[in-house]
Amino acid sequence: MKTKKTAGRIALDILSIFFAVVFLAPVIWALFVSLQHEGKQISSIVSWFTPPYTISNYFDIIKNSSVPLWFINSLFIAVIVTVATVLVTGMAAYALALIPFKGSQLFMIYVLIGMMVPGEATIVPLFITVKDLKLIDSYAGMVLPSIAGSMNLIIMTTFFKGLPRELIEATEIDGGGKLTVFFKIVMPLSKSIIATICIFSFVGSWNNYLWPLLCAMSNEMFTLPVGIPTFTSTYTVDYVKPMTASMVASLPMIILYIIFERQIVAGITQGAVKG
Amino acid sequence: MSKQRKRKLFFTALAFMLPFLILYTVFTIWPVIQGFYVSMHKWGLMGKQKYIGFDNYIKFAGDKKFWSALGNTCKFVVITAPMLVIIALILALLANRQTVMKKGLRISYYLPSILSVSVASFIAKNTFSPYNGLLNGVLHQLHILPANTELQFLLDPKLVWVVISVMTVWWTIGFTMMLYISALQDIDMGIYEAASIDGATSTQQLFRITLPLLRPTTELVVLLQLIACFKVFGQIQLITGGGPAGSTKPLIQYIYETAFTKNNLGYAAAMSYVLFGILLVLSLAQLIMQKRGGDK
Repeated sequence: MKTKKTAGRIALDILSIFFAVVFLAPVIWALFVSLQHEGKQISSIVSWFTPPYTISNYFDIIKNSSVPLWFINSLFIAVIVTVATVLVTGMAAYALALIPFKGSQLFMIYVLIGMMVPGEATIVPLFITVKDLKLIDSYAGMVLPSIAGSMNLIIMTTFFKGLPRELIEATEIDGGGKLTVFFKIVMPLSKSIIATICIFSFVGSWNNYLWPLLCAMSNEMFTLPVGIPTFTSTYTVDYVKPMTASMVASLPMIILYIIFERQIVAGITQGAVKG
Repeated sequence: MSKQRKRKLFFTALAFMLPFLILYTVFTIWPVIQGFYVSMHKWGLMGKQKYIGFDNYIKFAGDKKFWSALGNTCKFVVITAPMLVIIALILALLANRQTVMKKGLRISYYLPSILSVSVASFIAKNTFSPYNGLLNGVLHQLHILPANTELQFLLDPKLVWVVISVMTVWWTIGFTMMLYISALQDIDMGIYEAASIDGATSTQQLFRITLPLLRPTTELVVLLQLIACFKVFGQIQLITGGGPAGSTKPLIQYIYETAFTKNNLGYAAAMSYVLFGILLVLSLAQLIMQKRGGDK
């Protein structure tokens, strides 16, 4: 009985390692490809993994391609979207959750409608709207449509409703205005939910593909998801350089992910289940 | 409360909500209304051309490419969504066991999910490419595939679906797995202890305790995956470009091409409403389900 149990355990261990290898293999392979000299003769799959290695591809990509520029664009847009989302959504959620005013139900319903609107299905009219506003191929055009999301607002409103009222009322009695209450009490008390929203917004913006594909017209405005394919498609045979570009685009996120694994995962699952 | 104070509260609240309301109205609600207006017109990239009523909607019926793209999207959903749910559950069960590898497994399974769609697609495309690609290479090395044969994954209308679904599972399963893991961790360990004492084997525990308790999560996951799969676009456009011969082109890509390469925004807007309708039903279902789950 006992041996049967250990045998089962070992079988499951092997299965889990097998899956881990399958999931990691393409990424590890890509990493090794990026470390090869360009033009190396590849006689079998093993040659991709054998030395001599070089990191000159990385220097070349960083110095002579647009990848760093796209990286900065992606980062800049993601940071602005994240900060603006937290502020704009937080303020609206504060009003809906903690200011008793006539018509708040009506506003809530109006905001709920947005939950039903999938961005993918309104991409054509969104393009027309942004074009009418003359914001195509600008940072504003890339950022503004991604800020006000119903889901985030509902998550934050729900959270704010659970905050201790006494603390808020005490501050108001002490003469603190609504803005003071918002920045000094509500936001600091909501760090956990803000972290969730931050991770959600940042990752969402960082990986956004369809919208930047439409909105960014010039090379200077490209983000990584839009830029990388234009770079890789110029190489048809040798994929050492495009793999390096892919790695330059991914390694910072991979490293951040491994360091903050627990927080990121907590944030993502929380965001999906709540609301 | 005095009338004046009420009014003051209303305007304070409005001021707080204003930035959100403006952005939300302009970029979420307005496009829905404008989309309908656009769909009633012949509309090019330069703007409105002429009013044609419901012609764009009538056009569907005879547009083979529309039905084929909708069919491809449905095919993708049917193939990929069940794989995503089942494999995510298996991975979650594997990664949630008490082993020293626990954290390592979780990181490994989730890692592809943090790649952006273009990087994940590029790596996947080359993994499946012939000659020096990873999969063909490994199969050669293990002598499973003869040295002079290459599997042309991207040219074969059947194998190409393998590439797309396997890639999607590889790239997006981490999230679903994490949902399952967090649900598994909410299960009271006492139940298993009691079951063990009563002599239940681990297989019995899995089928009699774990899976039934995961049911609400599974319902949510199924809907989330259906919604996500109906929105498929990026990885297919980047890996196959919709080919070979349009056999993998999903609805969003067809909408995208109709609008921005064929310069027919009116028809694209009309088609978007079909997608909208499908997703609307699914997200309504999700909302109802989450409301029910939220009450527990």
